[in-house]
Amino acid sequence: MATTQPAQPPAAEPLDSDAPRAGIGPYRLAATRLRRNRVALAFGGLFLIIVLLCLLAPVYASQIAHTTQSENHVTDQIRVGGKLRDIVSPQGIPIGPTWHGRFLLGADQNGRDVAVRLLYGGRNSLEIGLVAMLITVVLATIVGTVAGYFRGAADAVLSRLLDLIWAYPAVLLGIALGTSLALGGLTVGPFSLKGNSLMVPAVIIGVVYIPYMAKPIRGQVLTLREKDFVDAARVQGFGPVRIMTAELLPNLASTILVFVPLILANAILLEAALSYLGAGVQAPNPSWGTMISDGIRLIPSGIHLTFVPGIMLVLCVLGINVFGDGARDALDPRAKVRLEH
Amino acid sequence: MSEEANRMGMLDWRSWPRLSAICALSLALGLAACGSSSSSNDTNTTPTSGSPASGGGKEGGSITYLMGTAPDFLDPSEGYTTQSAEATWITYTGLLTYKHAEGAAGGELIPGLAEALPQVSSDGKTYDLTLRKGLKFSDGKPVKASDFAYSIQRMLKLNWGGKSFVTSYVTGATAYDKGKAKTISGIKTDDATGKITISLDKPYGAFANVLAFPALSIVPTGTAMKNLSASPPPGVGPYMITNAVPNRGWTMKKNPAFAGFKIPDIPAGHLDTINVKIVSNTQSEAQQVLNNQADVFDAGDTVPPALLPQIKRDASDRFAAQTIPSTFYMFLNTTKPPFNNALARQAVNTGVDRRAFQRLASGFLKPECYFLPVGIVGHPDAPCPHGSKDGAPDLAKAKQLLKQSGQMGAKVTVWGEMREPRKEYVDYYTSALNKIGFKATEKIISDETYFPTIGNQKTDPQTGFGDWVQDFPNPSDFYLLLNGSSIQPTNNQNFSKVNDPHVQSELKTLDATPAADLNSVADRWKALDEYVAGKAYVYVYGSEQDPQFFSNKLNWDSAIFHPTYFNDWTSLQLK
Repeated sequence: MATTQPAQPPAAEPLDSDAPRAGIGPYRLAATRLRRNRVALAFGGLFLIIVLLCLLAPVYASQIAHTTQSENHVTDQIRVGGKLRDIVSPQGIPIGPTWHGRFLLGADQNGRDVAVRLLYGGRNSLEIGLVAMLITVVLATIVGTVAGYFRGAADAVLSRLLDLIWAYPAVLLGIALGTSLALGGLTVGPFSLKGNSLMVPAVIIGVVYIPYMAKPIRGQVLTLREKDFVDAARVQGFGPVRIMTAELLPNLASTILVFVPLILANAILLEAALSYLGAGVQAPNPSWGTMISDGIRLIPSGIHLTFVPGIMLVLCVLGINVFGDGARDALDPRAKVRLEH
Repeated sequence: MSEEANRMGMLDWRSWPRLSAICALSLALGLAACGSSSSSNDTNTTPTSGSPASGGGKEGGSITYLMGTAPDFLDPSEGYTTQSAEATWITYTGLLTYKHAEGAAGGELIPGLAEALPQVSSDGKTYDLTLRKGLKFSDGKPVKASDFAYSIQRMLKLNWGGKSFVTSYVTGATAYDKGKAKTISGIKTDDATGKITISLDKPYGAFANVLAFPALSIVPTGTAMKNLSASPPPGVGPYMITNAVPNRGWTMKKNPAFAGFKIPDIPAGHLDTINVKIVSNTQSEAQQVLNNQADVFDAGDTVPPALLPQIKRDASDRFAAQTIPSTFYMFLNTTKPPFNNALARQAVNTGVDRRAFQRLASGFLKPECYFLPVGIVGHPDAPCPHGSKDGAPDLAKAKQLLKQSGQMGAKVTVWGEMREPRKEYVDYYTSALNKIGFKATEKIISDETYFPTIGNQKTDPQTGFGDWVQDFPNPSDFYLLLNGSSIQPTNNQNFSKVNDPHVQSELKTLDATPAADLNSVADRWKALDEYVAGKAYVYVYGSEQDPQFFSNKLNWDSAIFHPTYFNDWTSLQLK
């Protein structure tokens, strides 16, 4: 009996090919590439889990730990294994992990629940990192684009301003600003921030990282503004604002997206460093940095006080960085963007 | 010593271990390889008649003394911190000094370089003293009465931190300080007779205590009017400071001439050499003493809580927590809401747990509720008028008081400094205020700027951390902080801004009572302190305790823990 072979479809183009293909947009292509990067996805998932846990901090505090992030239990006792134990001993040594609902990861020297503070601290660190990242991305994009597009005097002024910030070590600049703003707060026109507001370190970190992103964007705009499509826009009578927003910005999108996780991870790290040094999150608000700082003097008897927030910090930053690398490879496999400070 | 003066920068001694080890070894062998040329090889110097019995220990030898915080200055005319006074007290004996004894006995004024306690005129404004005969500085020069006048001038020129104790009272001192006079008109001396007469503008009962400050001790006329911490000037005392390297360490050598002066009640010391090393890491400091690699853990440092159980277990025979006359409190600004309301202040005193501060201090705090601490004349024995000294707080009553005051939910900013455990004190206090019903938030600032900031009228803080460690054992020293006349636009010390007519009226009489007559007014001081506690002008929570911690090479029984100068180095002795 004769058989007929079904017609074979034409061979599909490999998905990881960088060549543009009809019908698939660049972002869809990037998403497809990212889906194939299992390691990046796994670390992205890890970061997502940390975010979710931190968002659930109020629920954990009220329903399981029955305390708040700042409530002291210095002279209280807790029943562990049928025995009443001091949450903080008369010698000032806090209780270690109970592995139960209350004081799951132990207490700090003020008798506060470490697990609760860890989750709230994560919220604060992530919140600051996110706001700082947004400030950096928005301002750096504006400054980099304006400087690169207009060149001349505008470029000279803005570039020197960026050099000025860049010339100062990020941590030292953060400490200087953090210490002074923690005392008097920050008032710019109608906007006012109290000294103990979480937004103070966010603004400081956001400003500190502007040059690290604005400089590469400026460089890219200097190249793009000479392209034919920009000349075409000028010929059509488009003004500078429209050219920057409608023509240049879409071409900068992949660069900006690559910077987002890098800036976020570095912002979280700088926040931890500043808080550790007392120039970031102000007491009694927790952050992973303040928790490590508070736990230092009790390392020999309560290593969990520094170890647990340290591990969370590492996992969180690792998650963002590995996912960020994956995103960068997916968006622009040829890009090599490095953020150093 | 006021606590705010007790914070300073420090360098890590660990970068200098080899040289220090060579020095220590050389000194131990009597080679004086690192030392100055001054001889101190007289290892058989016998204590004076007033010195403590050796108690089985031996004379001579060398020890290593670790300090976590460097002295502000080793020049006696500038030093104002506890760490400085520990060394200068036994190097620069004042006209008057304190008995080398523990507890209340250590607060007794005794003649030092003066023959006797001062003769005070009936109006309390003239102090007459006479210098002992035959005294010589450690460089061999004779001591003259006029050296005292020069030393006071030098102290003012060098801007000693406590100079207001002199400029506020001694006639002509302010004019000299401001450059309007070439000498201090209120100090007259006669080198031939050794007579010294000091005139005051107004009577000050604690002035005899002021004369006992090491900063008012005598240095030779002509000593440079500049900081000589790297090469301290000669003095008259059981020991001499040599080999000083600022923020690194120095060596105390026995003054061979001192024993010959036979000054009663001032011991000549047992050890030949005390090698003082600055170790910025208290963990390492405590570990070295625990392991007998060094001999003394400075009492001004905090024992790391993590090491406490091990120290108590392995070194219980050479460790003790010593209570020193000090007051740790939270000020309550009586001039602005909510603490201009007496009921709100009482709520704080009733509802905040004093035991919590003890735990936050790793046990190195004794709960108290009165402003005058134990060991100071006038400390009340009565129960606390609000709340309990060492029991659980009455939170329900505190809430009720706050409700009655109409200040429930009042916003409060609590001020504090970064250093441990003070930040933890403020963390707890803020949390406790919120439990009572206030809406409290914290403002923690750096240690260096804390007291100038809260003492500035522009800041005008509502409440926050305060402390006072005695400058001298006299209640007037503590009540400076509650005296209405102490309220200043800058560098204010009366943080609660207490300006109570009854307190002012009592202080007028009590502050003028000579130190020698303090016991005659003890009951009035007691009544005043109970009145202040009743008014709840401050929230007192305890007195500091400091560690007395030695290696097993030292003779614990002979050691004296002095209420003002902590470890009495003249009492340290090898077994």
